[in-house]
Amino acid sequence: MTSADTHRRATGNGGPYSAESALGAHAPTIQRTGRSLPFSDARHLEAHHWLVEEAYVLDAQHYDEWLDLLTDDIHYLMPVRVTTALGAGYDSAPGMAHFDENKYSLSRRVARFQTEHAWTEDPPSRLRHYVANVRTFATDDPAHVVVDSAVLLYRSRGDVREAAVISAGREDLLRRSPEGGWLLARRTILVDDSVLRTQNLAIFL
Amino acid sequence: MTDQGPVLEDVRRGMIPAHIYNDEEIFRLERERLFSRAWVFVGHESEIPQPGDYVVRRVLEDSFIVARGEDGEVRALFNMCLHRGMQVCRAEMGNASHFRCPYHGWSYRNDGRLVGLPFHKDAYGGEAGFRRKGQTLLPAPSLDTYNGLIFVSMDPDAPPLREYLGDFAFYLDFYTQQSASGIELRGPQRWRVKANWKIGAENFAGDMYHTPQTHTSVVEIGLFREPKAEKRKDGCTYWAGNGGGTTYKLPPGTLEERLRYVGYPDAMIEKMARSWSREQLDVIGRDGFMISAASVFPNMSLVHNWPRVEDSSDEVLPFISIRTWQPVGPDETEVLSWFAVDAEAPEEFKALSYKAYLMCFGSTGMFEQDDVENWVSLTNTAAGSMARRLLLNSRMGLLEDGSNVVPALPPEQFSGPGEAYVGYGEYNQRHLLTRWADHLERPAEKVAQVEVSGVPAASSANGTGRAAEVTA
Repeated sequence: MTSADTHRRATGNGGPYSAESALGAHAPTIQRTGRSLPFSDARHLEAHHWLVEEAYVLDAQHYDEWLDLLTDDIHYLMPVRVTTALGAGYDSAPGMAHFDENKYSLSRRVARFQTEHAWTEDPPSRLRHYVANVRTFATDDPAHVVVDSAVLLYRSRGDVREAAVISAGREDLLRRSPEGGWLLARRTILVDDSVLRTQNLAIFL
Repeated sequence: MTDQGPVLEDVRRGMIPAHIYNDEEIFRLERERLFSRAWVFVGHESEIPQPGDYVVRRVLEDSFIVARGEDGEVRALFNMCLHRGMQVCRAEMGNASHFRCPYHGWSYRNDGRLVGLPFHKDAYGGEAGFRRKGQTLLPAPSLDTYNGLIFVSMDPDAPPLREYLGDFAFYLDFYTQQSASGIELRGPQRWRVKANWKIGAENFAGDMYHTPQTHTSVVEIGLFREPKAEKRKDGCTYWAGNGGGTTYKLPPGTLEERLRYVGYPDAMIEKMARSWSREQLDVIGRDGFMISAASVFPNMSLVHNWPRVEDSSDEVLPFISIRTWQPVGPDETEVLSWFAVDAEAPEEFKALSYKAYLMCFGSTGMFEQDDVENWVSLTNTAAGSMARRLLLNSRMGLLEDGSNVVPALPPEQFSGPGEAYVGYGEYNQRHLLTRWADHLERPAEKVAQVEVSGVPAASSANGTGRAAEVTA
């Protein structure tokens, strides 16, 4: 497959970004199969429910709880988007990302927020993750589903500073947890801006 | 425009009128008198390795296509069609043999030459009406490179880059010439922060004093073992030529032991030993200083750090980042932050060094997150009338009579060029802002205009090569 093929995304999210990352070797490679599941499908209802619950956890910055929602082999990736000519065959900066994380690096980010010296979130931002356009796909493995969603993050800091808005599409791989419920095993965040309009990404999407 | 003389005089004695960090008039002067002259970093040759590769980069509002032509040469072409002024390239990067304007279809080769002009004969009467031959997208007034780093100056009479960098080139090699192949750049991450561009440049140039306070959290979580207050003040800051930076003091040991201490594998250390001069090697091996953050006047910065990137190991891994603080307005800056790594480094090192970069700097970096919060806050506070009544003291390292708190390091303790001081000081911030003041007080020169296949003006024998006052 040429790189032009691998990055041609007819509709919305997904794609091979995780497999192409230099830090993605550990990541699960399971991909979607077929068309999206009917909205009445129990797997879709569970996946949608999971995303909404996660959004509340992220809004509240209960990051310890959030880490418990992730598998130990998670790959959490947010490519750097670039403007390229139609037909160029790629839409993200080669070999670069905003986030390209495993469980350890995510755990350090969370640990930092829990110190008393993470100034960028003290006072904390007021966050609202809006999740929409959810669709769920079966995979070859009944223990996994792929879920696409759109996320809009509203981040307000201080009293009069202009709020930051981040719009992104996400492709998630959810894995059934042995204890019941689902865990996030892979997330690709396709942010819709090339140049971010927020002072940093001291948040999660 | 009001006279900024008193402001510049205050800056020169290390007293900083707080409003310079958020002031429309100051920003207008910076645009006219500083960014119209200084060398500005726009990218690296490794970003455009093949003929036809290009990236689009800006110097303030001016967009340039930085392209490698079929002849292998790197050019920076002003991204404006010679006909009606459209951007001829609206992507950020790619590979193209030609750029075609979408408005009327004029097209240019990737070396800038105009080759396609629809209906040249019908519309213009051919060469008799419009001389197509020899027309080219406007090149940047000056372009020069050092170790593959591409700089642009808006001054056609800019001194050669090497001369401009001066002795800072000695230190630039630590970041960009670890082997004969030099570095490769990835990125940049780009984001806009509501902060004045000078703050980041000053911080990277010499602010060792902020490390133990701003970056407490990264030590607490085990990411970085160095920036405890004790350690940071053992390092030195140095200024040489048109740049300066900070260092950490390393534990006793040989050159090899000290480079291993910050995480370099032996294969890379051998190449550094061949690539760097005796004096460069002595800064590390004999004097025990390891370069960390630095800035090149006016708005390019570099950083080299060595965090712990894996749970399973206590070992650290070094990374290098290069960035520009691109001014958008008096209170807004676009940060372009690249990850850089030695092109000959082992692949595994490259991957982990990239991880180290992401954890520490850039849009998600755990060091950088707290820096920007401070700078946004400072910029916001500097906007009002009270900031005009406040002169911030930037004289750390100086006594009231102007003598130094500590003497400069003698050559037998610091083998690098320039002036170096152990401990906290604002020497480099003063160097940076003194150069800034020197530029702001010098009126802008007139610039030559280029006429696109022009005809003589009625009142002038020669219609080309006119000079015009550039005003913002």
